[in-house]
Amino acid sequence: MTGPEPPDLLVEDLVLTGAGGRRLLEIPRLAVPAGGTLALQGPSGAGKSSLLHVLAGLIRPDRGRVAWGGTDLAALSDERRTRFRGDRIGLVFQDFLLFEELGSLDNAALAESFAPRAARATIRAGAKGWLGRLGLGADPERPVASRSGGERQRVAVARALARGAPVLLADEPTASLDRANADRLAEDLVRLGAGGGRTLVVATHDPALARRMGRVLTLAGGRVVEDTDA
Amino acid sequence: MPDLWAGLPPVAQDVAVAALLALPGLLVGFAVLRGFAPWRLVRAMLWRFRWANLVFVLLIAVSVAVGVGLTAQERGLRQGSARAAERFDLVLGAPGSELTLTLAAVFLQPTDVPLLTGAQYAEVAADPDVALATPIAFGDSFEGAPVIGTTAPFVEHLAGRLAEGRLFATPSEAVAGAFAPVGPGDRFSPAHGQGEGAGEHAHHGSDYAVVGRMRPTGSPWDRAILVPVEGVWRVHGLADGHAPEAHDDQDHAHDDESTRIGPPFDPAHFPGTPAILVRADEVWANYALRSRYTRADMMAVFPGTVLAQLHGLLRDVREAMSLLAVVTQGLVAVAVLAGLVLLARLLARSLALLRAIGAPRRFVLAVVWSYSAALILTGAALGLLLGWFAAAALSRIITQRTEVLVTAGLGWGEIQQVCVFASLALALALVPAALAGLRSPLRDLRS
Ligand SMILES: Nc1ncnc2c1ncn2[C@@H]1O[C@H](COP(=O)(O)OP(=O)(O)O)[C@@H](O)[C@H]1O
Ligand SMILES: [Mg+2]
Repeated sequence: MTGPEPPDLLVEDLVLTGAGGRRLLEIPRLAVPAGGTLALQGPSGAGKSSLLHVLAGLIRPDRGRVAWGGTDLAALSDERRTRFRGDRIGLVFQDFLLFEELGSLDNAALAESFAPRAARATIRAGAKGWLGRLGLGADPERPVASRSGGERQRVAVARALARGAPVLLADEPTASLDRANADRLAEDLVRLGAGGGRTLVVATHDPALARRMGRVLTLAGGRVVEDTDA
Repeated sequence: MPDLWAGLPPVAQDVAVAALLALPGLLVGFAVLRGFAPWRLVRAMLWRFRWANLVFVLLIAVSVAVGVGLTAQERGLRQGSARAAERFDLVLGAPGSELTLTLAAVFLQPTDVPLLTGAQYAEVAADPDVALATPIAFGDSFEGAPVIGTTAPFVEHLAGRLAEGRLFATPSEAVAGAFAPVGPGDRFSPAHGQGEGAGEHAHHGSDYAVVGRMRPTGSPWDRAILVPVEGVWRVHGLADGHAPEAHDDQDHAHDDESTRIGPPFDPAHFPGTPAILVRADEVWANYALRSRYTRADMMAVFPGTVLAQLHGLLRDVREAMSLLAVVTQGLVAVAVLAGLVLLARLLARSLALLRAIGAPRRFVLAVVWSYSAALILTGAALGLLLGWFAAAALSRIITQRTEVLVTAGLGWGEIQQVCVFASLALALALVPAALAGLRSPLRDLRS
């Protein structure tokens, strides 16, 4: 993994408002050093997904700084945020969001279809490597439609990491999985996802997953109500 | 530059025009796709909505096929009828409708036309500018095939060397057209009249022996049976065009029948002919002959000119229909692109995922555009083939019904027409693509 250097995260004075001016997030300060692991907990509607989206640059906050290393996402244009996300941030979703018609490797290497020509082989090799590390190396061409939920989510993790992103953000990654698969994925996320100095942030209802993180932030109504280090 | 263009071979010009027409579409594609490789993804999406896509492609194909088929068919009809009339330089007949005379003499459509007299024939035949003057006598038939009285030189003029057998040499011999219901070795008795009203057995007892078969000409003459004009006259109980011969040392099968056939004819014993085909050796002489014999008691017709008028009419009709086809294509293109806007909504989560993993807006645009382009290009290509097949099938039916050999092939005109459609549709496909690219990924990821 020869991706960019892992960046520190520094959120300051963050305010995100939703429809009708409702405050969805209000976070005065949040610092996560490079390589840290963080769980976001809290009831439904607490703002976990919203915070992840802000951290990923999918939404620009109404106020505040969202700085990864020296780059303040809140100050970047939509296209620049997208490029930054492509280079630095891997995303994993609750419902995998895979292309059911494609094979596992094609899904994991999806970014090659819009990456510069020179980068395509590297992406494919990275995707293949991650599929192997996640235990799916035996049949990388197998269509994801024929895979179990646990396997699909691992394909999604391989896709998130194929470009060597130094940051991995996962939104309820285990919520669609049965216990055994959820544990397996949690194990993979901590051992592989957070390996190599990568920063890992997961929003989760799953205490078993949250327990494995170095720090647990509990949100309610868009505010941090509890902050515990493991 | 104009000189350079005019100096190019026609095929190069056609290819260049087609390329020029396709250029806007190609440029749009190049600008949209530059640096991207969306095809694997687009294939997956196309497969996801394969049934809707099939409907879109068929809609496009049918609308393109109508336009292509119309022009291909019109050209086929024009070329086929022109080819059928090729050997008929100038036709003389009694004054009346030029169209009727052309249809009767060239396309063997049964009609009652007044006759030219022996004196008129003799005058034309004696004209120094005339190389070949042949009476063409129609009206009889056998099993639906017209039996035409004419001369041996005309048979060769019409179809060149025979495919088999020999030319007729007596009034009771016949040469069959390439696809006539009789062949060498057969005997037949013609019936009076042609088509529906042909009375069977009207000429009972007067039969012909078929001695040869012509090569195909691509005209209604391929189904005809050609006999010496003397035979036709005799079957109708008329004089046979020749003065009863002073009986010399020749042997005769029948005392009262001459076995002479072909010109010169004796005006006094010439019962009349509905048409005379005239050929001059020089092209200019044909024009001189036409004005010479366009007069009170005779008319001279260039079948080619009559056809050109018909072709003009045909083109007007085709152009009106082509306009409708173009409007249809436009409507179909708009309908399909509107459908694609809806389809892009169904794909919204997949497209949002692409943005989430770092794809720029232009890539989302490229994916949706490629999706549309695949439908447009497949539909256009299928439409080209479909139009061609439809025109070919219709041509086969027309050929069977009329014996005018009509072959409708794809020409550069059709290919250029499809290039225009595809080019415009590809440019228009930027609209649903841009709409998809402008959507916020977040809204679609949330749902
Ligand atoms: N698309 C949306 N537009 C505006 N507000 C939304 C949208 N989706 C969710 N919200 C609101 O944002 C708040 C936070 O939601 P979310 O971040 O999804 O919470 P969590 O992930 O913790 O369940 C909720 O009050 C929710 O109603
Ligand atoms: Mg959530």
